[in-house]
Amino acid sequence: MSMDFILAQTVVNGLMVGMIYVLMAIGFTMVFGIMRIVNFAHGEFYMIGAFLFAILYGSNGMPFAVSVLLAIGATALLGLLMERVVFRRFRGNELNGMIASVGVALILQNSALLLWGSSARTVPPVVSGVLSVGGIVFPWSRLVVIIGAIVAVVSLNLLIGHTRIGRAMRAVAQDSEIAQVQGIRVDVIFPAAFVLGVSLAAFAGVLMAPVLSVSPFIGLAPTLKAFVIVVIGGLGSVPGAVVGGLLIGLIESFAGTFVSASLSEILQFLVVIGVVLLRPQGLLGRKEREA
Amino acid sequence: MNPSTTKPMSYAAVAVAVILAVLLPWFAPNQFYIHLATVGCINLMLVLGLAIIARAGQLSMGHGGFALVGGYVSALLSMKGWPPLLTLFIAGLTAAVIAAALGWIILRLRGVYFVLVAFAFSQIAVLLALDMSSITGGANGLVGVPPISIFGYVLRAKPQFYPFALVCALATLLLTWLLYRSPLGTMMAATAENQRLTESSGIDTHRVQVIAFTIGSGIAGFAGALSTHYLRFISPDSYTFWESVSYLTMLVVGGRDGVLGPVVGVLVLTPLPELLRSTEGLQHIIYGTMLVLCLMFVPNGLASLVQTWRSRQRVARTTTAVVAEEVT
Repeated sequence: MSMDFILAQTVVNGLMVGMIYVLMAIGFTMVFGIMRIVNFAHGEFYMIGAFLFAILYGSNGMPFAVSVLLAIGATALLGLLMERVVFRRFRGNELNGMIASVGVALILQNSALLLWGSSARTVPPVVSGVLSVGGIVFPWSRLVVIIGAIVAVVSLNLLIGHTRIGRAMRAVAQDSEIAQVQGIRVDVIFPAAFVLGVSLAAFAGVLMAPVLSVSPFIGLAPTLKAFVIVVIGGLGSVPGAVVGGLLIGLIESFAGTFVSASLSEILQFLVVIGVVLLRPQGLLGRKEREA
Repeated sequence: MNPSTTKPMSYAAVAVAVILAVLLPWFAPNQFYIHLATVGCINLMLVLGLAIIARAGQLSMGHGGFALVGGYVSALLSMKGWPPLLTLFIAGLTAAVIAAALGWIILRLRGVYFVLVAFAFSQIAVLLALDMSSITGGANGLVGVPPISIFGYVLRAKPQFYPFALVCALATLLLTWLLYRSPLGTMMAATAENQRLTESSGIDTHRVQVIAFTIGSGIAGFAGALSTHYLRFISPDSYTFWESVSYLTMLVVGGRDGVLGPVVGVLVLTPLPELLRSTEGLQHIIYGTMLVLCLMFVPNGLASLVQTWRSRQRVARTTTAVVAEEVT
């Protein structure tokens, strides 16, 4: 195997993992920015999205598009339910909201364990073959993940930047009381933002299911990554999540290929400490406004 | 009638509880109950450590990480021939030093960042334990950790270990109680209540929080080491994120305000996993549900119910006294 090949593989892997992290981190940071809730259960929605897709597409052989939509839709509904029953009560109460989300994570993960068992499932690849550019081959299965994630990030950006509900969300994130005074229905925006964040996590799970295997325990790692990324990129900042996610994905891929996987984790932690020391608001975050 | 009559009452309650705990080995039907009580003592220390951090207004999601560090430090040193009684304290000290360094950096940030970085730290601790297999034994962990011996008396069996664990737990409880009543404890509570107001009273709240984090994590390191010498084994799976979550659950369900809360939380939640061992997932679902329900309906924990009941009695008593005075 040539060096070029290994390098190209490493970059593609880094971008793929990075884009998944970007999707996770954006959802996480949106929920925090708007509801002020650190959602420790975020990764469990990723896991449930991946599981539903594995069951619908992998085990039951339903058409790809239908499986994707059903998996995301069902996870989004579950998210809506959780927002109604649990998270709504802790809006603005950062400490208790965070602890409650840990409880929700426990419930979701172990319900999945009871329901679907602990053994890992594999999902048949959605696409096969390779793309060959100048003698370097890229597997389509990975490129699809990257493309899918980019499409999601771009459409989310359009939604936030150019629609009424997007503008309302930005207003609520800045100051929910003033937004309410302006006639924005905060009661609609909160669940909408939460469901949107959860859907992004579910979509990330759907994208990753054919590449990795699916088990009830896969949610914690991407949650941790989302935390690390938002600390690096700045809590509440969507561009920060993109930069941080790609950075972490590439560090992970390069350090994992050339040194060792656990060194990459330690390296990421050191990056976090460095950012916290030198630029506490994150690379692209704004200084926290004192309330 | 004087409201302060409740004071001797609560001292008596504490005395009865301590006597019951001491006498447990004599009326426990079998060794399993002693094991459960020992685990309860270790849990109590961990939860008290978490409570001290919470007292200063912070939440540590990396509590298990410090217990893991303590466990490995004590296991490795004692396997080299150091006396376990000494390595227990070295373990606590190591965890405290790491916490002080980490806390000094990350506690300058707002609460949420602290939680995220402390959580990341505990994951790194697990990864290091897995990766440095030449020292830590990797995923297999360390087997055959020496038992604790006090002046030649080896605490090998459960009935021998329990008194030592109980002494450690009671000492931690007393220490926490004294800390809460000290000026530092007042500063911690004030920081949690309103950090900026406390700051403006000339108190260095950053320092207060770092100290609380250092003490709490040091206790976690000690307790992790204690557990390692009890089970004679430690592995990266001994203290994962979910262990940190279970200590948090005990603290929230019991109550975050005084020293009673952790005791109640540990008493309620330590036996639960043992009762539900047959269904692995169900136990965690119950933990999660209790956590959420408690936050919704009893946000100050089960111990606060006792306090509400007591203050109600006090109010009732004073009003009857006032009425009696007016009548006469």
